[in-house]
Amino acid sequence: MEGELPSNRKCSALTGSSRKIKDNAADWHNLLLRWERLNDHGFDVAQNIVNLRLRRSESQHLQLQADEALPPLEPAGISVATLQQDCDKLQEVYDKMVALVTKMERLVVSQHGISELEQFQFGVEGRKTPLFHSWNAKHFEDVSVFLLDSFQSELRLKGALLQDLAHTVTSDLHVVHLSCWLLQPFVPPQVRLMLEALLLETGHRPI
Amino acid sequence: MSKPAVIPLQQAIKKSFQCLENNQKIWKSVLAECGPLMVSLGNLAEQSIALSNVQLSNTPLRVFPDLEERLRFKQQHAIDTVLGKMNEKMSSLQSVRDSISNQVSGVFQLYEQNTESLDIPTLTERSAITPSISDMLEWLQDADRHYRQEFLRRKMLLQTLRADDLSLLESAPKRWKSLETPTAEDQISDTLCKVSFFMESQ
Amino acid sequence: MTSVRLLSVDPSDRGSQRCRLGPGLMSALGLGLGSPLLLSVPGGSCLCTAWPRSDLTEGFLQLDLKCCSPGLTLPNTPTHLDLDQLSPVPCPKLKGLKITVVVQGSDFKKNTPPRVIHELVKDMMRGVYVHRSHVINFEDFDTEIRYAVIESITPDSTCSGLITSKTALEITGIQTLKYYESGLQDQNLVPLGGLEEVSLSLTEMLRLPLLYPHTLGSLGLSCPRGVLLVGPPGVGKTQLVRRVVGEVGASLVVVMGPEVVGSRPGESEEKLRAVFERARSAADEGPCVLFLDELDSLCPRRTATTAAENRLVAQLLTLMDGMTRSDRFLIVGATNRPDSLDPALRRPGRFDREVIIGAPTLQQRKNILSVLCERMPVYPSVDLEELAQRTLGYVGADLSALCREAAMHAIRETTKCSVEQTVGMKHFYEALKSVRPSCLRSSLARTDVCPVSWEQIGGLDDIKLKLRQSIEWPMRFPEAFGRLGLSGPRGVLLYGPPGCAKTTLVRAAAASSHCSFLSVSGADLYSPYVGDSEKALAQLFRQARSCTPCILFLDEIDSLIGSRSNSQSPNSIQTRLLSVLLNEMDGVGLKVSERRGTEKVLQAEGVEEGPSPQQLDYEDVCNADVMVVAATNRPDCLDSALLRPGRLDHIIYVPPPDHTGRLSILKICTESMPIAADVRLEELASKTNLYSGADLENLCREAALLALQDENMKASQIRHAHFTRSLSHMTPSLTERQIHMYQTPPT
Repeated sequence: MEGELPSNRKCSALTGSSRKIKDNAADWHNLLLRWERLNDHGFDVAQNIVNLRLRRSESQHLQLQADEALPPLEPAGISVATLQQDCDKLQEVYDKMVALVTKMERLVVSQHGISELEQFQFGVEGRKTPLFHSWNAKHFEDVSVFLLDSFQSELRLKGALLQDLAHTVTSDLHVVHLSCWLLQPFVPPQVRLMLEALLLETGHRPI
Repeated sequence: MSKPAVIPLQQAIKKSFQCLENNQKIWKSVLAECGPLMVSLGNLAEQSIALSNVQLSNTPLRVFPDLEERLRFKQQHAIDTVLGKMNEKMSSLQSVRDSISNQVSGVFQLYEQNTESLDIPTLTERSAITPSISDMLEWLQDADRHYRQEFLRRKMLLQTLRADDLSLLESAPKRWKSLETPTAEDQISDTLCKVSFFMESQ
Repeated sequence: MTSVRLLSVDPSDRGSQRCRLGPGLMSALGLGLGSPLLLSVPGGSCLCTAWPRSDLTEGFLQLDLKCCSPGLTLPNTPTHLDLDQLSPVPCPKLKGLKITVVVQGSDFKKNTPPRVIHELVKDMMRGVYVHRSHVINFEDFDTEIRYAVIESITPDSTCSGLITSKTALEITGIQTLKYYESGLQDQNLVPLGGLEEVSLSLTEMLRLPLLYPHTLGSLGLSCPRGVLLVGPPGVGKTQLVRRVVGEVGASLVVVMGPEVVGSRPGESEEKLRAVFERARSAADEGPCVLFLDELDSLCPRRTATTAAENRLVAQLLTLMDGMTRSDRFLIVGATNRPDSLDPALRRPGRFDREVIIGAPTLQQRKNILSVLCERMPVYPSVDLEELAQRTLGYVGADLSALCREAAMHAIRETTKCSVEQTVGMKHFYEALKSVRPSCLRSSLARTDVCPVSWEQIGGLDDIKLKLRQSIEWPMRFPEAFGRLGLSGPRGVLLYGPPGCAKTTLVRAAAASSHCSFLSVSGADLYSPYVGDSEKALAQLFRQARSCTPCILFLDEIDSLIGSRSNSQSPNSIQTRLLSVLLNEMDGVGLKVSERRGTEKVLQAEGVEEGPSPQQLDYEDVCNADVMVVAATNRPDCLDSALLRPGRLDHIIYVPPPDHTGRLSILKICTESMPIAADVRLEELASKTNLYSGADLENLCREAALLALQDENMKASQIRHAHFTRSLSHMTPSLTERQIHMYQTPPT
């Protein structure tokens, strides 16, 4: 994804619904971009957590084997603190993601509003000439809803991961967690396609 | 350098070594780009294996019923993407190999056209700055063989990867790494050093 | 310069198809850089491209075996090549090429699409010079693709050529390395002697289902899945299988029985499954034989063994049952102890066929010896026929040990005087002393080592004749008996007063009939454990059958086996031994493999299930040669069942020696003694009525001792007086009443 698109482009002569829709599209693009960045950052943090966790359980294991009477190793104490720190960081990332999804929800509400307005203005048939190239307002709303759905589910997954990540002991499950975080199973490849289509339709990208 | 056929042949050899030098650089840079791709391929395979090992319904993630299916799909998707990129890299490696091969076979053709006028003593004549023609032809042939072998081994490795054999995929980066033959690559550099005076002459 | 020295290839040239020559030699041969050159080296030829050596020296040659005859390796020893072994060949660009590709593993073969292999091989072969029926080596590429075998090249007019990117490449087949290598090994198989018949039948058995499965299928026949080879150790079961498999062109998966047994629970089963899996994957390529050697250790009877073994047997049964028609492999098991196999294995559908390999016959031994001697320098005077006759009971392994030993003797001799090493007959005789037949080793019976000749037994001429008739003739001239419709006697009973040379007679008979001789007496068989003696007796018979023709001599049979009628307890050990003996004698014709455990034999006592006549005939032919000879001095104690025709049917009375007999015994006894001229043996003979042969021998000894006593160790002669004095001290061991009792023959 290239750099952020200006959300309020004043230069074009669009007005009304078209204006609003175009701005929304730019917002979608920016939100997704920020989401990606957050996701990457979160992945790094999560990886740290997993590594710490594994090292800790390993050293605990070794200690158990060696001598139970030994005082807990110094690094272990440190790692507890770091672990907590990292978890906090991940929590931060998650919070930001929650904020992003809230913004997405607002976009969907706005899109819905436009759709209703259009219906009110032009009846069920819709307007005679399309807003941009071919899509009608309903279509825009559908796309938005789809995007929101994806990210909402993904956010739920992220929440669950946040809860479990530091409490898992098996390494396989750790890897699965990381894989989930990185690959975002609830964000299907269509999301990218739809966003691109949206940007094309609204004229952010030249056809 | 009494024979008339020697000069054009030496020119052609010079050109070939220049081509070899350029292509060696390209080869190295492309290979450097392949490394991270292979590593991520291995990571993805590892993730897939982990997913197969874990019974998600026994973990807190059981609240997402279609998670496994979706994650599996994404993993496959990612693997496909990486493999696609690797294929692109391979085709640039292939073009390096082909260009070297073409150069070398061109030189040999030129030699074969002039076999009559080039007898063995002429071919094996050496001087302080100019290696003998036979040595240089030999080195060119060696280099050509080296790149053909290298390319073929890597191609074979990629060709034999299958999406359903995860352990094969997981070990792929390690095997890819083991295909590196620094000594053979150094040999090429050595050869280029040996001919450096010859290249600068005239 | 007429020859060049062959050096090993420079590592940097590996895979380059280069042949390094001196520049002068290249000029002399008219070669340019990279000109194709065909070299004939010991074991084949090799196609290379000529390049000058980098140090430009002459007289050496290094070559890379990129394209050479199949299986060619360069000799390690310094070799010189003549210049006429180097010939430049024209190599035009080829239009087309057909090859068979050899790959490392079956996994690769299975998982790689042919298109990919084609593409890879084409890349690998570009720029290579090839020759008809050569093999291209791809080892330098270090990939799964190992070789390409050139099947044919186009145009046909040329023998060799260059592959360019325009050459049309056709892959006719893909083989695994294992399969390819086994194909190479087939070409140097050692011939087997004396197993032609068995080998033929086994070959047929393997060939039908392996090579023509569809024919069998269309006839509605199910292919046999397993063949069991049964035979004593050392007869060449393992070698036979390898050989036959090689002949049929199948691949072989060998499992030694103990190899698959592991210590962890379940490990053995797992290994066994892996073995079957291996066979299955090998069968994908072509016919395959899974050979389970020492099957008895893998599959012992289930009842008496531990749970782990039971599970293993069950696993094998399951695997064998699980073989479907599409699994094109055959299981061959080999064992020398068929009785200890689990009976469930030996039924149709598992091991449906059983091939029995017995100890080799005279003719077979001769064949084996001739095969073995082929590779040894032997004097023409060595008579294989004679050797074969002397090596009764020797199996193939024994014979090869014999030859080895003879060769060792020859070497020991020649190291002293370094002449050409040749093995002569005397070396074989030496070796015969130290190498004993393996089927008689670890036997509880004694085997005769010093043969006795008929001449060493005085008198008893009519008895000797009878014995010859009943023992020597059927053993030596079975075909004459067959011609006249005679069936040889199953057993002979010698009875007579003690000390009348019964044992010696039997020994002489055995020695003159050239057959193995097992002798056992009661003490050998007794054991404090219940059932042990019976087992030992049965084992003895088995051993005797394994080295037929054989005489089994039961000395003092009355002590061994009493009579059922007058023994106190009906279940005493004698009774049980008797029943074993009766059954073994009736079962003399039974095939080794058909025999069942001892309990069954005991049950079957008396009630004989009559086998079909044809079967009897057949069994007679192959096993009539175990003859039981028993000796007793108390014939009245014997069970009448033992004496009926078909068991010990020839009953020969060995009487105490009469006058002439005693005379000849005395002559033989005094042969080695310096007797004075006044000794009148005639008179002694007439005075020694009722003396047995042993008594007479004792008499002579006593006389000699008396002579020593009289003349204080300086005696040089034994005089008649000594004999008469010793006679006066002795009483005959026989009595008239005793003899009378013997003369009423036992019923």
